[in-house]
Parts: sequence; structure tokens; C-alpha cells
Amino acid sequence: MAKGGRESNDATMPAFFETALQQSIGMGQDAAAMPYAEYRGPDVAAFNPMQEAAFQNQQNAMNAFGMQGGQGGYMPTPVNAGGAIGYSSAPVYDQARQNLQTFSPATAEYIPSFGIDPVTGEMGSRAPDSQPVALEMTSAGRRGGK
Amino acid sequence: MAGSANPNMVQPMLTPMQRASGANMQALNTYSNPAAAAQNMMNPYNQQVVDTTLRDVGNAAQIGMNTLDAQAQAAGAFGGSRHGIQGAEALKGYQQQALDKVGALRQQGYQQSMNNAFNAAQGLQSTGQQAFGMGNQLQQNQMQQGAMQQQMMQNLINSGKQQYAGFTGQPLQNLNTMMGTISAQPTMAGKETSFQPGLFNYLQFAAGLA
Repeated sequence: MAKGGRESNDATMPAFFETALQQSIGMGQDAAAMPYAEYRGPDVAAFNPMQEAAFQNQQNAMNAFGMQGGQGGYMPTPVNAGGAIGYSSAPVYDQARQNLQTFSPATAEYIPSFGIDPVTGEMGSRAPDSQPVALEMTSAGRRGGK
Repeated sequence: MAGSANPNMVQPMLTPMQRASGANMQALNTYSNPAAAAQNMMNPYNQQVVDTTLRDVGNAAQIGMNTLDAQAQAAGAFGGSRHGIQGAEALKGYQQQALDKVGALRQQGYQQSMNNAFNAAQGLQSTGQQAFGMGNQLQQNQMQQGAMQQQMMQNLINSGKQQYAGFTGQPLQNLNTMMGTISAQPTMAGKETSFQPGLFNYLQFAAGLA
């Protein structure tokens, strides 16, 4: 038992492993700052010409018996993505975000602050890089973008 | 002949549902007023059967009267009271015969026309039902094929979305690969214990030397 002196226990590991661990942490921090990358293409396959014709035929059939056919468009305008034609949920998503901005602006600002700005690339105020914590180990890994 | 209708022009084809609806309406009209439908059928019957019969009876009467006149003339009794009575009786007989025949024919014709009207209505019902069934079947086939095409398009969209999700998830996939590599290694961390002596330790050491 030491008296008057100071005994210390230090964790040790091989340098290459320490580097790899720090690189992983760096990657994790970068990945944690990744913003939501919304999908803006078609989600649901649009009605095709044959189905449109079937709808028209059904309306005509009802008209032939003196009934209301229910003419008129109902679905939103489909989007074309490389030949795949379908209805996109992007406008619904945009509207939902707009509603959040209108009725809960603080929440609307808070959520994206965890990641980078998807347009400018500026780091969000609550992203890991913006947290005031210093690394205890000396990293050999690079931080940053590309 | 600009503007005039061409009788040889093909009429626009009615859809099965239009035919079904038309047949149904005509059948309904017949059932709601069978006498009118029967009357329509009576007109040609009257012309072709009753009028012809009347003409036949009239012709027979004329021939009979001519024969009567000839006989009276041969007997030198033409224009006499006997000749007159004979003629009147003969005409009366022909008239009665004509009335009896026409009455029977009209009754028979009316009965037949009513039966025909109901038969025609039943035929219309049947063809209307058939047209309705054909139309429905075609509709179902069309919807079915359309749905098949739509499903193929949906599959294509789903594949594209899957690719996109793979792209956006790639950074996390890379991180997982890195973490997996690290965690697969044997334990690399160790512990190094060190001791830094204090004044008491030095005094103890000196006392030991003395």
C-alpha cells in the first residue's frame, strides 16, 4: 500500500486500434449530423390509360341507366420519374412541414438543428460537432466532409 | 348530296349498357301497357289477314250475286220480286259470314298479339340481361388488366425507392461496417498502473538506508 505517493491506472490500447476507434466515433458523429433526405419521386403507381378507360366506361354505363356517373378528376397530378408514373407523397410532406412551421415553429426549427442544413451544408446548432465536448484521446482521424 | 343522310352509313355502335338499358325500357313499356304493344302488332295483322279475308268474302259475294243475276236473267225473272228477295238474302248471308269470320279473326289476332307482345318483352328482357352481362364482363376484364399494369408500375416504383433508401442509408451502412470491424477484434484495451512516490516514500527509503 503506498503512502504519500500517487498511484494511477491508465487505459492503454494499441495506437492503430485507438485510431480506428476514434475514426469510428468521428464517422458516427458525422452520420449523426446527417439530415433527413426526403424522397420526392412517385410513391403510388398512377392509374393507367386502361383503368381510366374503365372508369369512363363505368360512368357511361351508369349514365345509360339514368344514374349519376361521378365524372371528374379526383387524384392529384402524377409525377414522371424516368418513365415510372405515379402519385408522390412529397406535396403532402411539404404541406405537413409547412403546417408544423405555422403552428409549432419552435418544433419546426428544433428538429432540423440536429443535422446539417440540407441546402448550405452548415452544421446545425445541435449537431454533434456543435457540442462543447473535447476528445480525451488524440485522434489521427480526419474530420469533416468529403 | 351534301348534308343529306347516307342510308348506307354505319350507325354508331351502341355500348352493351346502352343496349341493355334500351331493351329494359322497351320491356317495361310493354309490361306497363301491353294493349298498346298488342295494337302495334294488330295493325299489320289487320292489313294482311282481316282485310284480305274481307276482300275474299266480298269477291265471293260478288261472284254469287252475278250468278244469281245470270240465273234470274235466264229465267226471265231478272228484276222481279223473287229475284230481289233472293239477292237480299244472299247478301245478308255473305255479310253475316264476313262478320263472323272477321270477328273470329280479330279475336284470334288480338289474343295472338297480346301473347306476342309479352313474348317480345320477355325476349327484350333476356337480350337486355345478356347485354348487361357482357358489358359487366368486359368492364371487369378491363379493370383486371389495368390493375395488372398498375401493379407492375408499383413494383417498379418500389424498386426505385429501395435503391434511393440504400443510397441515403449508405453512410450508416459504412459506419456499421466500421463498428463491426472494430468489435470483431480481440480485446485491445489494457490497464497500465503507475506509482509516483511522495515525500513519505522518500523518507522511508532514506531510513531504510541508514
